[in-house]
Amino acid sequence: MRFTITRENLQQGLAAVGASIPTRTTLPVLSNILIEAGEDGVQMSGTDLDIAVTLRVPAEVEEPGAITVPAKKLQELARELPEAPARVTTTGERFELTCGKATFRLNGMPRDEFPTFPEVDFASSWRVSGELMGRMIERTSFAVSTEESRPILNGVLWQLGDREMRMVATNGHRLAKLTIPSDGANAPNADLIVPPKALAQVQRLFDPEDEIEVARSENHLGFRKDGTRVYTRLIEGPYPNYEQVIPKDNDRIAIADKETLTRSLRRMAVVASDQTHRVRLAFVGTALRLSVETPDLGDAHEEIEVDYQGDALDIGFNANYLLEVLRYMPSDEVKLSFKAPERAATVEPTEASEGAYLCLIMPLRLLE
Amino acid sequence: MRRLLLLDCDQFFVQCARLADPDGAGRESLLLVGGSADGRGVVTSASYETRVFGCRSAMPTAQALRLCPQAKVVPVPRDMCGRKSREVREVLETFTPLVEAASIDEAYLDMTGTEALHGRESLDATARRIQAVVKERTDITVSIGGGATRVVAKLAAERAKPAGVLVVAPEDAASFMAGFALREIPGVGPVLAERLRAMGLVAIRDALPLSERELEDMLGPGRGAWLFERMRGRGSDTVEPDVAAKQISREETFPRDLGADDELEREILALSIRVASDLRRQALRARTVTVKIKDGDFQSRSASRTVDVPLESDRAIHGLAVDLLRTLRKRRRTPARLLGVAVSHFATAEEGTQLVLFDGAMDATLESDRDRRLSRAGDALRERFGPDAIRPGSLLE
Repeated sequence: MRFTITRENLQQGLAAVGASIPTRTTLPVLSNILIEAGEDGVQMSGTDLDIAVTLRVPAEVEEPGAITVPAKKLQELARELPEAPARVTTTGERFELTCGKATFRLNGMPRDEFPTFPEVDFASSWRVSGELMGRMIERTSFAVSTEESRPILNGVLWQLGDREMRMVATNGHRLAKLTIPSDGANAPNADLIVPPKALAQVQRLFDPEDEIEVARSENHLGFRKDGTRVYTRLIEGPYPNYEQVIPKDNDRIAIADKETLTRSLRRMAVVASDQTHRVRLAFVGTALRLSVETPDLGDAHEEIEVDYQGDALDIGFNANYLLEVLRYMPSDEVKLSFKAPERAATVEPTEASEGAYLCLIMPLRLLE
Repeated sequence: MRRLLLLDCDQFFVQCARLADPDGAGRESLLLVGGSADGRGVVTSASYETRVFGCRSAMPTAQALRLCPQAKVVPVPRDMCGRKSREVREVLETFTPLVEAASIDEAYLDMTGTEALHGRESLDATARRIQAVVKERTDITVSIGGGATRVVAKLAAERAKPAGVLVVAPEDAASFMAGFALREIPGVGPVLAERLRAMGLVAIRDALPLSERELEDMLGPGRGAWLFERMRGRGSDTVEPDVAAKQISREETFPRDLGADDELEREILALSIRVASDLRRQALRARTVTVKIKDGDFQSRSASRTVDVPLESDRAIHGLAVDLLRTLRKRRRTPARLLGVAVSHFATAEEGTQLVLFDGAMDATLESDRDRRLSRAGDALRERFGPDAIRPGSLLE
């Protein structure tokens, strides 16, 4: 294998693929990056066996070939290279890079040891805009669970229908749901449970203007556009019946200025318990009184103005859950709805943007 | 000779329930705390008035309601209990630095060396002042027992209830003890009491003529000697102040190294339950679970998991612990000589319970209300009938 590549292209490729390479692994070849030189340039790939990422970058290829090299070392090296084209050659399992007057040799491993990528047939693919995909991922994937004990909730549910598509994520305490109208061009009707790490790669590697091609196999999902591909394992369902927990009869409604509420919650969070982040919200008339009381630390109180309709309400929340949800609300004002202190609350944007966005938060019980 | 006090809050959960809801539970004399009005669950504490009818703690609520149908059942006011327990403790620490919480509603105090501080008054007088100050500052009525050993202080407090003070002078300890039944000695469980009864021994007085050797012949060397001392009011007299712990842990060194996964998983279950119950006794919840393993070659390894929501139930803590054990065993698989489970990153129940979206519908959450209720019912049973009163079937020999 022999090729010449600009420092920028090398860095760009390594940065894109690097994120999919596991930092700790029991299979040594997984900490390597697969470099393949062909007619269209150089293709770089990395995988942690759940997710695989491939990216093509321009290069002047003199002799095609392939090798795997330690990803972290190569990335560090690329960062420190002088501003000059890098020339790469291989001799057996030895990788050699020359840049200016500097030469580096790294011990690689043969490509045969690198795992093959999942077979996903793009013949029956469908298309989705990079902008829509990015928006859905951003507004929902933050809500997934990080508990390993419930693998289903570690994924984002991507529901494809005839006229709309939807993403839902929850950790069992809060939930985010975004539904967007879509003509469903060729998309199958399906419920896919996708690891958020894969979605993060999709969000990162494709541009909003891109029309991303998506295809699935029994257990995998693939995204591609030109030389960039992301493959991921799908999490096996069924996903919990989230529709059932979305309240339909919340009749206490508050409209609040998002910025004012966010700032107040952040101040409260400073004095809230490190472990539960409990903040108490008391809605009375046009006032929302926020307060925290933390044993061994202290207390804090603040009143802000809201437009509230309904009986007075005293309710507790994990401040972080509220703050997170507010961060993704696309409007300046937000609508909060409640039924009772121990029932799910909803948060929605007040202005209808393209698609229906709804977040759910379960309260903290204030007293036992 | 040490000067120990044991302070015990009278029907603590009942008092807390009344303070938490002065207009409801506060007006009820016939009050059962724990379980639910439809008769599910177990009584954590029964008001003195219901005890006349035969109601007791650790009794199924349904049974207590059959004995006393007029009683009102309220849930355990965890919030208030945690707060009052801490408030009482704060008062005690103004009298002596040596305060050891024996449970949420009991504390040992070592007053030795504080005589000058308290104007050389008698231990009885100090105990009465403590009782009054606790009542004044926390609204909690307590009983206090005093003696030179823990066992005497403990039994004196039992005798002093309700709302009393009884200090037993060292020279009176033996005759004071003689008035109790053997089964009333802390540490004598139902099994041992039955064994003694079968030998014709019911009251301490019955057993006093027996020599230490004779008791050892009857009960085995360790237990015989222990009972011989205890009956005479002798035993431990140390009070260990518990510094606000950052971690609660339990460890077990095995008599022989354990190599089989199922043996180790049984041990981790037993340890998890002990740690979880220690945690609940202090009215705490924890976000981090750590498992420690020492391999046969003395190499120590550990693994931890921190979760979003503080946990307290046996099921949740065991669930995390067993996963951690499996991870550790996957990395290195040699027989283990020691296993430990620790919990840290504490929150109090007062800080609130995170409610869940999918309760019961699926195993979506680490811990549900049901898990917490189940664990607390187990605590109530163990409190009353001893540590082996209830345990998972897989731990039965």
